[in-house]
Amino acid sequence: MEKSFQYSESELILLLRQRNEQAFSYLYDHYSGALYASILTIVIDEATAADTLQEVFIKIFKQIDTYDSLKGRLYTWMLNIARNAAIDTTRSKGFQKSQQNQSLSENVYELAGSVTIVADDLGLRKLVHRLRPEWKVLIELSYFEGYTQDEIAKLLSIPLGTVKTRLRAALKELHKLIKE
Amino acid sequence: MNVQDYIKSGIIESYVLGMANSAEVAELQQLCIQYPEIKQALTEVELAFEQHALSNAIAPPPALKQAIFNQLKPEFNQAISSVNSAAAQEAPVVSINRTARFLAAASVILLVISGGMNIYLYSKFKETTKEYQALVLEKNTLQANNQIMQTKSLDMYNSMQMMTDPSMLKVSMPGVQGKEANYATVFWDTKSKDVYILPNKLPQPSTGKQYQLWAIVDGKPVDAGIISDCAGLCKMKNIPTASMFAITLEQMGGSETPTLSEMYVAGKVG
Repeated sequence: MEKSFQYSESELILLLRQRNEQAFSYLYDHYSGALYASILTIVIDEATAADTLQEVFIKIFKQIDTYDSLKGRLYTWMLNIARNAAIDTTRSKGFQKSQQNQSLSENVYELAGSVTIVADDLGLRKLVHRLRPEWKVLIELSYFEGYTQDEIAKLLSIPLGTVKTRLRAALKELHKLIKE
Repeated sequence: MNVQDYIKSGIIESYVLGMANSAEVAELQQLCIQYPEIKQALTEVELAFEQHALSNAIAPPPALKQAIFNQLKPEFNQAISSVNSAAAQEAPVVSINRTARFLAAASVILLVISGGMNIYLYSKFKETTKEYQALVLEKNTLQANNQIMQTKSLDMYNSMQMMTDPSMLKVSMPGVQGKEANYATVFWDTKSKDVYILPNKLPQPSTGKQYQLWAIVDGKPVDAGIISDCAGLCKMKNIPTASMFAITLEQMGGSETPTLSEMYVAGKVG
């Protein structure tokens, strides 16, 4: 399979919509590493991450017709599928069991604190780790664990407005760190 | 709303990372259509996170790709990607139902595309027809002009042939006293005795007047014809003998005898 040439994003999407195997292979070669890393930052376990990635690529293939380039780039769309799938995995019964049956709220605090230590050197977490603690916990809960801002406000007993403001400030900072 | 404040608010980042709620998502998508700066800022944020993810990629287990492709094998478009499908023999197992569904979907898509093309091509066709009509008109005008030019040029050529004929006698007629600026030439065919006039330099006659050529035979003026507005040489009357030629300005239709006070040019033969 050729790897030397590059598709433009619109060519790639057109070929994917035609169920072109070569284009899908290119998509996999080009993005599987980035998506795998982002799944891994959420589910931590490598075997689980690989299963999730498989599920994600099947979904990308089957749902490519619902992708709308006006709403954003292809990678952004794929990342959202990957992140949602990864969070769903962490919330599934089997996964919860493997995490020693912690109750949901305990789990939140535990993960917010402990898991970051495990995977600090992975992808976005590397940068999130450099944020202020009150920002870090918000990104942890919302991005890596998929809690809504309402849920976070209740969990941490801080006003919803504060959650929103801090989260946006944290994301701006994260964007700055990424560009460094 | 202030576009810059919106861009700096962090909402674009939360959209890209999938953390915006549905109201924020709808708003951002709407604003992207309205404000190109916001769309551009969105793309910049997307590219930043995408680049970061690509450079921090971790290779998944190598066997995973094959597992995914095995699972998707029946779904790929075999017509396009059969080159590297070693398991092409398995293709016939695909149920007719699925094939029919793909064909139906493909034909609907083709229909929509073709509908769009029709609209586009029709507007293109109308535009081209208009341009074509303008070109035809221009071509006709040019062709007509060209024909006029050809006729003129043929006349000139014929005139030139006559002037250079050895039997053609040239009689120069300079302006008479008081009309020195004028000048005309008579070409007299010594064989056929036909007379031609070339009005080199004569003022435009006033309305109701025409120039008339006279041949002086035995001291008396003989009408040699009225000069109409012809291109190049104008053929006049046949004059067997003459000692002189002259042009006067006369009433429209010519006169029996020349009005000597209105003589413009005159020249002796030989």
